[in-house]
Amino acid sequence: MRKSSKTLVIDTATDYLYLAYLEDGIVKDDVHEPGKNDHSVKVVPKIKVILDKNKCALTDINQVIIGIGPGSYTGVRIGVSIAKMIGYMNDVDVYRVSTLALMATASKAEYIVPFIDARRGNAYMALYKQSGDTLSVIKEDRIENIDAFFSRITFMYDKVMTQKPNPEKLFNSEGLLTKVDDIHALAPNYMQITEAERNLRKKHAN
Amino acid sequence: MLVMGVESSCDETAVSILRDGKDVLANTVLSQIDIHKAYGGVVPEIASREHVKGVTMVFDTALKEGGVSFEDIDLIAVTEGPGLIGSLLIGINAAKIVSLNYDIPLVGVHHIAGHIYANNIEHDLEFPLLALIVSGGHTELVLMREHYRFEKIGETQDDAVGEAYDKIARVLGLSYPGGPEVDKRSREGEELYEFPRPMIDTDDYDFSFSGLKSHVINLHHNMLQRGETINVNAFCRSFQEAVTDVLVEKTKKAIDAYSVKGLIVAGGVAANSGLRKKMKANVTDIPVYFPSLRFCTDNAAMIAAAGYFKHQTLKHTDHYDLNGHSRLDLAKEGL
Repeated sequence: MRKSSKTLVIDTATDYLYLAYLEDGIVKDDVHEPGKNDHSVKVVPKIKVILDKNKCALTDINQVIIGIGPGSYTGVRIGVSIAKMIGYMNDVDVYRVSTLALMATASKAEYIVPFIDARRGNAYMALYKQSGDTLSVIKEDRIENIDAFFSRITFMYDKVMTQKPNPEKLFNSEGLLTKVDDIHALAPNYMQITEAERNLRKKHAN
Repeated sequence: MLVMGVESSCDETAVSILRDGKDVLANTVLSQIDIHKAYGGVVPEIASREHVKGVTMVFDTALKEGGVSFEDIDLIAVTEGPGLIGSLLIGINAAKIVSLNYDIPLVGVHHIAGHIYANNIEHDLEFPLLALIVSGGHTELVLMREHYRFEKIGETQDDAVGEAYDKIARVLGLSYPGGPEVDKRSREGEELYEFPRPMIDTDDYDFSFSGLKSHVINLHHNMLQRGETINVNAFCRSFQEAVTDVLVEKTKKAIDAYSVKGLIVAGGVAANSGLRKKMKANVTDIPVYFPSLRFCTDNAAMIAAAGYFKHQTLKHTDHYDLNGHSRLDLAKEGL
């Protein structure tokens, strides 16, 4: 991961559309706004706005950081499709990051729980520890019953849902960014197989 | 003018490159059909996942096949609907980011306009023209008096014809997709059963296949109850005869009423051999066009062709806020 570069960060896996433009590892501009199932309409226009404001063409971007979920299936696919295309068209490095890790960068607390509601009493969650500007994973990304997850955490933590991320921290933290070796193989992290696949497996098991 | 077409409305991820709306330089289709077979039909969430997986590879294959690069493309056309929304959004956002990256004008295209313009790849359309659209999602008669103006004069009141085929095939225990299988077996069977021809004599150009479908399913069920042997080939033949009788009769009625100069049949069911044969045998006074098989099923060449004419005729381009639509009115497409 090079800090000396023009970086575009994209995350569309939650209700919030998140974009950031970084130069040499420093956030120059960002977009963080709640959407109403309209990421598909807004992402490309907002990418254009943020790049135009900073006098940067999309072809000048030399690395992309993409939030690969977990989160909304439809949402995350929009961002991942766009990131794949940018990486492919311009032959630039693409780094994937967990959407939960990206969310955790918003907090200043020592212990951080990024949280995305997954309905029926479940949520996508993880637990991160922060020291200085560095984050490390204590509990990996998961989908779990909300009460069960929190009942096991006996210390103070900051639950992050809607705060604006600070992607600068990603560069300092070990293992949060993973370079994509084969752009064609990049896919969202859904965390779950589809209901149809589950039913089919059950049928075969019986 | 080089047009790149992008299509992802159902279970095919496709990118094509056409010169001047006709000359096909590349026609790449990544079909998911083998994946959905296990489920007896297209599973929307799985379809969307497969589109994301394959999207960049399909662009890459098409560019290599066409021997061109993105910089050579003058217009990018993408299916904006109707279709599965999660699937549509992959193609749309890919097309939009290509448009932004290379500053290529963007145009959203109606999927059915694509099926109609698939015919223009191989023969010039002559107006007024009647188009019969038959697929898993559509059964429509469309009148065109000039390029890129569509008047829907009739449509199905319930099931699409391809949908009825798939359901019949499932009941008969045939593999998915059912249409080609029923077609194949009907060629080996006799018309032993008298099935209804719904709406064949009505004064409109509408269709209905759900009653016919129920009739076939009920007969099958009752025969099983009575312990009779099912002649699957005869079931297929009898069903196919009923369906194609209605399609041909209604189409003929519309040809006479609107004095059209040509008929085109488009969509996946245009590949059906029984329909091809019967339509050509019964419509003899005007030319009848069926696209070649590779342009019948979903592809992006048809989207590029339609996009070219939309852009030429209406001087239309879309902005980066272009969105997908699971339902979309064809009549508004030409306005």
